[in-house]
Amino acid sequence: MRWAATYHRPSDLTRALELLDALGGQALLLAGGTDLMVEMREGKHGGSHLVDISRLPELKLLELKDGEIHLGAGLTFTEILGSELLRLHAPALVQAASQIGSLQIRNVATLGGNVVHCSPCADSVPGLLVQDARAILQSRGGTRDVPVQEILVGPYKSGIQPGELLTRFSLRSASGMWGAFHKLARRSALAIARLSLAVLARHGDEGLSDVRIALGSGTPVPRRMVEVEEFLLGKAPTEEDLWEAGRVLASKMVEVAGMRASTVYKERAAQGLLVQAMMPLVRHGN
Amino acid sequence: MNMHCQEPGPCGPIPVRFRLNGREVSLQVDAGQSVLHLLREKLGLKGAKEGCGIGECGACTVVVDGVAVNGCLMMAAQLDGREVLTVEGLESPVGLHPLQEAFLEHHAVQCGFCTPGMLMSAYALLARNPQPTRDQIVEALAGNLCRCTGYEQVLKAVEAAARRLASRSGT
Repeated sequence: MRWAATYHRPSDLTRALELLDALGGQALLLAGGTDLMVEMREGKHGGSHLVDISRLPELKLLELKDGEIHLGAGLTFTEILGSELLRLHAPALVQAASQIGSLQIRNVATLGGNVVHCSPCADSVPGLLVQDARAILQSRGGTRDVPVQEILVGPYKSGIQPGELLTRFSLRSASGMWGAFHKLARRSALAIARLSLAVLARHGDEGLSDVRIALGSGTPVPRRMVEVEEFLLGKAPTEEDLWEAGRVLASKMVEVAGMRASTVYKERAAQGLLVQAMMPLVRHGN
Repeated sequence: MNMHCQEPGPCGPIPVRFRLNGREVSLQVDAGQSVLHLLREKLGLKGAKEGCGIGECGACTVVVDGVAVNGCLMMAAQLDGREVLTVEGLESPVGLHPLQEAFLEHHAVQCGFCTPGMLMSAYALLARNPQPTRDQIVEALAGNLCRCTGYEQVLKAVEAAARRLASRSGT
């Protein structure tokens, strides 16, 4: 058995960008490889040029600067889970990272790879969306700074152009916010999400002063659910409020995704998922 | 560091050098070839198994630079400069590794297909966390499927090995 492909391992970012520029659409990026290897096994990507970016030091950035978290696209989920900084400033993203694949996969799979693969069920994406994450795309010709939502063009289709490399993300710090990530799947480990939900909320005596909710797997690409956020903003939510918020979430999901075979189940499941995820915010005994 | 194929264009096999079970290995691999294929078909190390081939079963687990990875999902070319441990490297001249002994004593093996992967996941766990809780063991082994044992004996074996390693190191 032979694999008709060519392997390149540029030593730094500048060389990687030059190579991507020269290869154009023939280049296939190898970061963690956990999705790519499965596709190659299926016979895809024959004749392509594999560009191994897994060792580029520039893609391992992790810092807090001026209230923003800068996160290298090449960080593995194990590296994300091990970061005290991210536990404080990106709680929903860290919870999502803990539920991705298995330990063997988290040890090599990268945040950037999870995003650019553009799977509707990518676990890390809702966690990025609730922090208004922006993606920094570098190419030989320059740099683009775009909201992550704009990269998600469609299922398995990203808006990243040939010659561009997603090098890092910039996130608004969620320091002091309550965060959660919940997913529904057929088993608890190594599971593809059937629905997932990331929530960030700031709550005080006046109720929720900031609330951000993103849904994964329910729509062609993960997305923020602004209608649900508006419904909950300013409320000190009761359980009844959460069920109503879940109803808003489900109806928006159906509006975006249309009626599908799974809709009967997913409508109720989305509602339940929101209630389950946000229940810790309901004050008991009031 | 080896820098194969800086320029676009056709390239032949890729030279790689790495340490495998303590020995320096230098050979040529194909682009896209998996670590698992290299180990089994080129190097004759049949311990790591191909169960699913898509990263779900963990039967191909090996330890690379101290962490457990799926051999089926990593490219052989990526091993360049790395330290690789497979189940064949667990045994020492004085005998089986305490994990292997504990698996035998606790009947953590039935058909044995998943065992090399289980051992390597457990090895990586104990190297990082010598005294794990049961929950931590479960989490570390969640990527390793076993259709025979029901897992209970495996968990007991890992706990026993941790105790044995602790007593040997005098802690």
